[in-house]
Amino acid sequence: MKFIKKSYKENLTGYLFIAPQILFFLIFLVYPIMEGVRLSLFKINYQDEVFVGLENYKRLFSDPVFVQSTINTVIFVVFIVALTVGFALFVSATIFDKNAKYVSFIRGAYYIPVMVSMVVMSMIWSFLLNPANGLIPFMARELEIASVNFLGDTRLVLPVIIFVTFATNVGQAIILYIASMIGVPKETLEAAEVDGASKLKIVFKIIIPMVKPTTIYIIIMNIIAVLKIFVVIQLLTGGGPNNASTTLMYYLYNNAFKYNQLGIASAVGVIMFLLTLALSIPQLRAMFKNN
Amino acid sequence: MFKKRYFTLSLAIVLVLSILAGCTGKEESESSKGTTSKDEMAIKVWLTPQWKGVLDSSEDGADYDSFFKHAAERFSEEYKDQKVKVEVEVIASDQRDELLNVSLNGGTPPDVFFESVFAMGDYAHRGALVPLNDIVDDESKKDIAQSHWNNVTFGDDIYFYPFSQNPGTLAYNADMFKAAGLEKYIGGESDIKTWTLAEYEEILKALKDNLPKDKYSNAFPMGLYALNNQGDTWNLAYLRMFGNQFFDGEGNIIVNDENGVKAADWLKKIYDNGYTNPGVESVSSNDVNAMFQNQQLAVSFTNAILFNNAKADMESGKAPKFDIRLANIPSESGDPLTFTYVTGATVFNTKDEARIKVSKDFVKFISTDAELVKSSKNGVPVRTSVTEEFSSENPYFAAYSANDQYMFNFTGNVPGYGQLRQVLYPELQALYTGAKTSKEVVESYQTKGNEVIETSKADSVIYNK
Repeated sequence: MKFIKKSYKENLTGYLFIAPQILFFLIFLVYPIMEGVRLSLFKINYQDEVFVGLENYKRLFSDPVFVQSTINTVIFVVFIVALTVGFALFVSATIFDKNAKYVSFIRGAYYIPVMVSMVVMSMIWSFLLNPANGLIPFMARELEIASVNFLGDTRLVLPVIIFVTFATNVGQAIILYIASMIGVPKETLEAAEVDGASKLKIVFKIIIPMVKPTTIYIIIMNIIAVLKIFVVIQLLTGGGPNNASTTLMYYLYNNAFKYNQLGIASAVGVIMFLLTLALSIPQLRAMFKNN
Repeated sequence: MFKKRYFTLSLAIVLVLSILAGCTGKEESESSKGTTSKDEMAIKVWLTPQWKGVLDSSEDGADYDSFFKHAAERFSEEYKDQKVKVEVEVIASDQRDELLNVSLNGGTPPDVFFESVFAMGDYAHRGALVPLNDIVDDESKKDIAQSHWNNVTFGDDIYFYPFSQNPGTLAYNADMFKAAGLEKYIGGESDIKTWTLAEYEEILKALKDNLPKDKYSNAFPMGLYALNNQGDTWNLAYLRMFGNQFFDGEGNIIVNDENGVKAADWLKKIYDNGYTNPGVESVSSNDVNAMFQNQQLAVSFTNAILFNNAKADMESGKAPKFDIRLANIPSESGDPLTFTYVTGATVFNTKDEARIKVSKDFVKFISTDAELVKSSKNGVPVRTSVTEEFSSENPYFAAYSANDQYMFNFTGNVPGYGQLRQVLYPELQALYTGAKTSKEVVESYQTKGNEVIETSKADSVIYNK
C-alpha cells in the first residue's frame, strides 16, 4: 500500500503534465466519437430524440445510394492511392539523384497544387469542364468536335474525379519519396552500379524496398484522406449524375445538413470511423514493431 | 532536490488550471452571446437574395440587404420596448438548409428568416418556428388575399407574414426570336405570352435551325438544368405539362401515370433533339440564368424578382442589353402552367421569450409599415393596397393577376417538401443521361417521394399535435 502511494506520488508530476493533452483528447476526440455512436442509435428531431436501436444502420444498408457511395469510395481509394504511389515513385526515382536545383524545381512544381485550396482547384476544373459554359466544351463546340460531358457521363465522372484529386495531391507523396530516396545510402547505389545493375533494377531491387516505410505511410495517409473525399464532389458534380459520384462523406453531409437526418449521418460516421480504424491498424502495428 | 520537484509540480498545476480557465472563459463568453451591452438586444436576421435596393434596384449601392438594413435602422430608432440591434446577413439560397440545420442543431438559429415560404415549410413541421397569429391584425388580413394566408398556414397556425409573391414564368429573348424569324410568336411588352405546346415545339426547332451563328454563337433554344434542387419548381411544372396533377387529395405523389411519363418523355426528347443547353444533368439553374443573360439561351426560367433584376443588370450595363419578355409555361391542353412563391418573414423558436417577442415585433414592423411594404413591388405585392398604388407603374401586375386562374400549388402543402426536392434531381439526371427510361424515372420518383412524405408526416409536430 505504501509502495503504491509512493509510486503514485512520484508519478503525479508526470500525470499533471499529460493532463492537458488527455483533457483535449477526451473532449475533442473521445467525446465526439462516443456522441456519434450514441446519436447513430437515435432518431433526432429539433424537439426530441427517440431511441431506435440499430434502425438507422438497417435503413442505411437497404438504401441503394449508400451502397453506391460505398462502392464509389472504394473505387476512389483504390485508384487514387495506386496512381499517387505509382506516379510519385516514378517521378521521385527519376529525379532524386539529379542536380539539386532541378530536384527543387520539380518538387516545387508538383507541390504548388497541394498548397492551393481544394475549393479553388475544384472551381477551376468546374470552369474548364462545365458542359454549358465551360472552356473545354466551348472550345470543342467552336472547333466542331463532338463534345463530351465529363461531369454528366456516368462512365467518365469517376475517372475525372480520380484525376482531379490525384493531380492535386500527388505533390505531397513526391516530396516524401524524394526525401526518403535521398536518404538511401550512396554506397549501396554505387555498389550496385559497379556490379553493372541497370537503373530499373536499382529502382526495383534497392530503392523501392528501402523506401518501404514511406510507401506504407503514404498509402495509409492517402487512404484516410480519400475516404473523406468531399470538396471536389460537392463543387464539381454534386454527387451526380444520378448519385454516380456520391461518396460516403458526401452522403453523410447530405443526410446531416440537407435532409437533417442526424441519426443516419452519425451511423455513416461510425461506419467510416471503423473503416479508417481498420485501415490504420497496419500502420500502428508497423510503428510498434519499429519501436 | 525538493525545490526542483516543487517547482515542476507547481508548473504542471498551473498548466492544467490555465487550460481549465480557458474552457470556463469560453463558456462565459458563450452565455453572453446575443447581447451587445447590458440593455441592448441583438437579433439575427437572415435572408436569401431577393430584390436589390430599399425600394428600387436602381438606387445607388443597391444590394440584397439594402431593404433589411434600412428597416433595421428604422426599427432600432422607433422600437420603444427595448434597445435593439438588428444584424442582417444574406445567405446563398443553395446553402440555406445546410446553414439552418447546423445552426438549429447547434442551438443558435437566426431569430428571423426572410425567404419563400415553400422552402421553409419543413421547419414549421419540425417545430423550429413559432406561430405568428398574435401579430397578424384584421387590417392585414383584409388587405392580403386569403389564398396567400392559406399558403403560410400550417395546421391551424400562421408561420410566415406574407410580404410579396413571386410568380414563376418563362422569359425569352425577343431579339433572338426575331433573328430566328419567329416574330409572330413574340408577345406584347407587358404581356405574359401563352403558346400552345405545338407552337412552343415549333419555336424551339426554329431557334435551333435558324438562329444566326455569327450573331449568337454557342447559343441554344431553351435552358434546362438538373444539377441540384435549385429552380426545381420549373422542372415540377414541366412534369405537369400533359395534365398530370402531381398530388392526390391526401398529399401523395401520383406522377407515375401516362401523363407523367409523357412529360418525362418530352423533356428527354427536347434534350436529345438539341433544343436545350448541353449537359443538362450537370448544369445548375444559376448557370442557365447566367447563360440567358449572356444571350446564350433564347428561353429560360424566371420569376418576377429575377426578371426585374435581369432588367436592372441590363440598365446598369452589368449584362448585355436585349429585349427580354415573359411567357407562360405551355401545356398540352393549351392552358398555361403557372405558380407563385409567397415570400415572407418567419421567426425561429430560439427558446428565449424576450428575443422571440422582439423578433415578432420586427417581423410585424417590416410586414405592416406603410412605407416598407411598398418594397414588395419588386416582386408582386401581396397587399391589394400596394398593387393598386403601383399598377400604373408596373403593367405586369395586371398580367400576373390574369394568370391567377391557372395557378397550381406546387408543394401540395406536404410535409418533408425540402427532402422531397432532393429526390427529384437525381431522377432527372438519370433521365437525361439515359440511365433510366421515362417510365422508370416517374415510378422511382413516386416511390421515393411518397416514402419521404410518409416519414415526414410521422415526424411532423403539426400532424401529430
